[in-house]
Amino acid sequence: MILVNIFSSRRTFIFTSFKENMIGIRRFIQPLLGFHTSAVQCAEPMKKKKKMDPSIIRHREQRKMKRIERSIRKLERVERPLKPLDETQIPLSLKYEIPIRQRQLQPISQDIELSQRELLVAWSHHKQKEAERDLACIRKLLDAQGKALKELKLESEELYIEATQLDLSLLPYKAVGPTRTPQIKGYDPPDGDYIDVSRKWE
Amino acid sequence: ETEIKLANNTNKKIRGMALPRTCINLSRLTSTSDKICMRLSSFASTQTAKEKWDLLSAVCLERKPVIARNLLPIEKEVLSMAQKMEYRLSLKSDHEIQLEKDRERQERIKQGDADDSDMDQASLNSAQDFEDASVEELSKFPFADRITEADKEKDQKSLDRMLDRHLLLVVRQKLGTSSVWILPQGQRQEGETMRQAAERVLAESFDGKVQSRFLGNAPCGFYKYKYPKHIREQDGNSIGAKVFFFKAHVTSDSPLKKGSCIEDFAWLGRDELDSYLPEKYRKSVTEFLIDED
Repeated sequence: MILVNIFSSRRTFIFTSFKENMIGIRRFIQPLLGFHTSAVQCAEPMKKKKKMDPSIIRHREQRKMKRIERSIRKLERVERPLKPLDETQIPLSLKYEIPIRQRQLQPISQDIELSQRELLVAWSHHKQKEAERDLACIRKLLDAQGKALKELKLESEELYIEATQLDLSLLPYKAVGPTRTPQIKGYDPPDGDYIDVSRKWE
Repeated sequence: ETEIKLANNTNKKIRGMALPRTCINLSRLTSTSDKICMRLSSFASTQTAKEKWDLLSAVCLERKPVIARNLLPIEKEVLSMAQKMEYRLSLKSDHEIQLEKDRERQERIKQGDADDSDMDQASLNSAQDFEDASVEELSKFPFADRITEADKEKDQKSLDRMLDRHLLLVVRQKLGTSSVWILPQGQRQEGETMRQAAERVLAESFDGKVQSRFLGNAPCGFYKYKYPKHIREQDGNSIGAKVFFFKAHVTSDSPLKKGSCIEDFAWLGRDELDSYLPEKYRKSVTEFLIDED
């Protein structure tokens, strides 16, 4: 019997007394036994790489670098548009500056702390009374309006219906709050007027 | 009296569209002619044609406060305390860091340890200079006075008076035989709503357009008064007038010019109303005015 290791490159054969008879067969089987196919490549074998002239290579690299640098300079020359305030972030450098920026202050004395607490209590009382007064005033206004509408309804249903119609011209309602000092009449701002040109995405 | 009581009851029923039932209730007391009158008249005028009131619209035109009130003592204390606490909890700003660096540099220059970079920086404007310049600019800025000339002259026709308080427009009108100080009022004409009547009254009281903004279609207050007996007794005349007030804000500060319908006008603060408006009227008016301490 023949045990053939058809996978080794160095073909080693172990065979018995049928040695002489097998020699002829051996010569014929060898190439067949060693025959194997590879997987389908669908490719060409690699082309031989031609050696480039190193100066030309260097020249090409330099031109690429120059082109990139020129485009960077162009972008830098253009005014970078400012970010809208809504998109600003706290700069990261501040995180590392906290120890430098912390204040070294004496702790508050007991007396001052006590007086602060008493003041806050008095303040909360004051604010509560103020809130109560505001609510009472609102209730009074609503009652007066309710009475007026009731009387109007007694007089005429039509007029009542007209009075209870929504006034859409009131909304959106815009009011400019009271300032610390009144407007200066005929003031000419030295820096000019401020006209908001920021883009709005709605 | 019983008629009036029933009328009040039926008013509630009419809310639920129960007209047939009301007719049945009232039929016990009203005659056939009155019943026909009821059915022909408008849907819910349960006040039968017995009491006739004139419908008047009045304008409550106010100039809202322009500046904030002065702080109360407790408010001042709390403000200073809050500012101190804020300072304690805050971190140093760039300006403060710069001030510290400048101070250190000054120290170094005094001691004689200064290097070249220190000398270069010292020649530039220091942060302290900037702060001093800013403080000086603020102190020199001409803010407008909170107490205006109109306040000093007590000019009651001016809108510049009492900038931290409300000002209410009050006019002197002839009602019947006498002139009274009241809010501008006038009778509603045919085809007008109450608010339109109020707008017309304001336009007729003054020459030129009064820049105002009316707050909604609903009245804010109510006042009724009866006419003197000799007018009431006459046939075809109403018993009295029902005045419906409408709130408005005045939007421009140009002075008003009195029209032909009124004799005089004034812009009054809350505490000045006592001496101008009649007592009962003033009570009704203060019901719909925002309180001021």
